[in-house]
Amino acid sequence: MPRVKEIAFTVAYLGLQIGLVATAGSRADGAFGFRMFSESTELEAHLVREVGAGEVHVRGGEWIARDRAGAPRRIKWGDRVRRRELATFDAAIHASYGARAQIARWQAAVDDVAAHTPDDAETRRLSVDLVIRRNGRAAEKVRVSSAPRSP
Amino acid sequence: MKDLVAAIGSWLRSSRDGYALGLVRAIVGALLFWHALGAARDLAVFGYFGDAFHMPILPEALVPSRTLYAVSLGARLLLAVLIVVGHRARGALLASAALGLWVLLANRLEFHHNRYALFLYALLLAFTPCDRSLSLLEGADEVTEERAGPFWAVLVAQVQVALVYVASGGSKLLDADWRDGLVLADRIHRYGHVAVHHGVPARVVEALGRADVSSALAKLAIMTELFVAVGLFARRARVYALWGGVWFHLVIQLTSEVEVFTWLAIAVYGFFVTPDFRARRFFFDPTRAKSRAWARAVRALDWLARFEVKPWAPDDIKQGHSVVIVGRDGTRATGIRAVAMTARCLPVLFPIWAPLALAASFTRGGEASSGS
Repeated sequence: MPRVKEIAFTVAYLGLQIGLVATAGSRADGAFGFRMFSESTELEAHLVREVGAGEVHVRGGEWIARDRAGAPRRIKWGDRVRRRELATFDAAIHASYGARAQIARWQAAVDDVAAHTPDDAETRRLSVDLVIRRNGRAAEKVRVSSAPRSP
Repeated sequence: MKDLVAAIGSWLRSSRDGYALGLVRAIVGALLFWHALGAARDLAVFGYFGDAFHMPILPEALVPSRTLYAVSLGARLLLAVLIVVGHRARGALLASAALGLWVLLANRLEFHHNRYALFLYALLLAFTPCDRSLSLLEGADEVTEERAGPFWAVLVAQVQVALVYVASGGSKLLDADWRDGLVLADRIHRYGHVAVHHGVPARVVEALGRADVSSALAKLAIMTELFVAVGLFARRARVYALWGGVWFHLVIQLTSEVEVFTWLAIAVYGFFVTPDFRARRFFFDPTRAKSRAWARAVRALDWLARFEVKPWAPDDIKQGHSVVIVGRDGTRATGIRAVAMTARCLPVLFPIWAPLALAASFTRGGEASSGS
């Protein structure tokens, strides 16, 4: 007979893997669920700053904002977000792991950048407008925004 | 059902020849090295992931520091070398899997199905007798008893292989966009240039992108994945499942960017290799140049040790044949049947096995027994 610990490992391992596969849909990126090529989705991201005068479209992921002392500072999205698929603006890119995964990742990225740009004392909120084309269908728009900032 | 339970119980208790697992181990080791090298390159070029935006699944306190991450990468490279050469390979597999899974859990942005699968297979291999063959340091591996070991983890790995296909094919089956071919058509539309770049004629890619063709292809892809998952466990269907699976992955490799998943998926088919050692005999006529060349090729490419290759002493059975193969069940094969059997058993020739076997089926006796 195989030893108890081998049977326990087998049951625990397969139980975990089957559980992860069965619950993959509950995770935005379907991680650990082996849903290969689940979508063919393309998206374009457009960065928007909310300032006192309204909304400003940020080109190329870089903007100049004044710090608390009133000095102009150059802020780069890419200094904080290094992954190309989350730092490419105004151009269509493949949405790896599907639209839900990318919406969740862009939401986390915009929150992270908003929380890590202390030199920007002007921006009240950062947003990213996502234009998503899923499986060849017409484009749909989704906005992900950071929490309000206190300049 | 009682038979199935008995079979599983027998398998779990069994000790079998782990020769073929050595090849799986060496390939998995090479893929682990490739991944660790890529991560080291990213560290050098882009810096430590924890200094920038990342998405940990673990609590942030358990995310490795820059120094610890760099050390773990060095360790992964070293462990991968140990796995490839077969020295303390099982411990190295276990440690590699643990370090790799740690990084995936430390940054969700690093997650890819192929990486996760690689670390899972490394983990499972660590519990198999995969370190008793194809070792560059441990010497000869010709004694069956010394290669044998418990096979319970091989069964778990087999189920893991099938689970990947069930998850992938099943999720597509339940998705109307996938079933109807919308996903595939759009992928072909967007990434057809990759296939053209790999040599697929542009007009073929264009035809594949047509709605009716992509719809049929989608259904074929789903059926293939589900057939492979089931067929791997049916003795008579296994070779067809393996052959279909190999081509399925090769086609994906030609048309998509999947890192190393193609080679991993094909390598882990080694878990399904019947654990015997040189159970077929390959007799060749040493007086003929063609026979000697064939024998040399078989010796060089027989990475799973399927054949015992021997010169054939002239006798009545030979009757002018260059090569005679005697299968596991004693069936003799010559001519196209021998070619088909060779292709079936040599990994690099396996993709051309089915057409050869089909051709052999029209000869007297067909291919020498599908079970041999």
